[in-house]
Amino acid sequence: MELGLAWLAAGIGVGISVLGAGTGIGRLGAAALEAASRQPEIAGETRTLMLIAAALIEGIALIACIVCILLAVKTA
Amino acid sequence: MSAAHAEHTGNVFAHLLAELGDHHGFYVGPYKVASLPIILWDEGRLHIYPSATAMEAAGLYRMVEGHPVRVADGHRPTLDLSITNLVVYQWLGMLLLGLVLWRTVQRYRRAPLQAPRGLQNAIEAVVVFLRDQVVSPNISSRRLANGLLPYFLTLFFFILVLNLLGLVPGGHTATGSLAVTGALALTAFVVINGGAIATLGFKKWLGHLLGGGPLWLSPILLPIEIIGMFAKAFALCVRLFANMTAGHIALLSLVGLIFFFGTVLIAPVSVAFSVFVYALETLVAFLQAYIFTILTAVFLGLASEEQH
Repeated sequence: MELGLAWLAAGIGVGISVLGAGTGIGRLGAAALEAASRQPEIAGETRTLMLIAAALIEGIALIACIVCILLAVKTA
Repeated sequence: MSAAHAEHTGNVFAHLLAELGDHHGFYVGPYKVASLPIILWDEGRLHIYPSATAMEAAGLYRMVEGHPVRVADGHRPTLDLSITNLVVYQWLGMLLLGLVLWRTVQRYRRAPLQAPRGLQNAIEAVVVFLRDQVVSPNISSRRLANGLLPYFLTLFFFILVLNLLGLVPGGHTATGSLAVTGALALTAFVVINGGAIATLGFKKWLGHLLGGGPLWLSPILLPIEIIGMFAKAFALCVRLFANMTAGHIALLSLVGLIFFFGTVLIAPVSVAFSVFVYALETLVAFLQAYIFTILTAVFLGLASEEQH
């Protein structure tokens, strides 16, 4: 029962964290694309900045996933 | 699930994660190729054995679930410093890098003024890209940027070659282990703070910890800045580890679908998706090496900037 609850928590947790990260990276990508199409000459710089911001968002999502993995591998 | 699977008592996911981790002995794919020395530091004494079988024969320790434990009380030794599988893969990576870069350097020595050719082109393009797009724009101090360029180049090429070694069929991903990425993040932490202290001086570096706010805000800002200092390195470590592990777990899950459904009909779908994930992993291998390098450069740049 408790193991089942831990797995359920891991599943729900990873879903919610992916929701947040997906929204974040989606908004980031939209903004970067808009910036690049408005000013194509700074597209290179925008891409670098976008990758850095994406990595930071991803970092948060990954830490959330680690918590979920710890729940999923709970044995007792 | 089949009956054989239902009998499996342990957590399958935990089992998979352990398989992705480190092993005692040199493995290519699932096959053990060679035994590796086991070095244990236990209660103030160093024990060195040439292999796991020699260790069990000596009688002090035995292998339980792939880890050495004391025969007497079943506890793990204080420190397991063994040469493990991933250590060997790091050596392989260093050897590979050494060979490739040495050849390139030889070519520059022999013909310094001629146009680069072959592999030299690729290496030069990457080195110039890292110097002009990653390190220089992010670190304002010229002296620091030039002085630390070799570190950033080493970081990029080392992570890249380890990531790619993991994608070679039979290879193991050394960067898919928290010990390896933790060590890389630790060096990054030392470089970030050491570089900041070297450029700004110790006093100004301490001043950075106030976050540029007024003194009465320091009870709030000081803990945040100190946690932030460690969180940056921790995030670097976890990001690389999780990215390299996630692809492998996705591949294993896709192939596992065949066994889960117990039919060969699902195989084309599994294989198609696996090829896609594999291609994605190749992209991620390059991307994560780049991200680790550029984030270290950005953090170093932020830490070593004069306060405005």
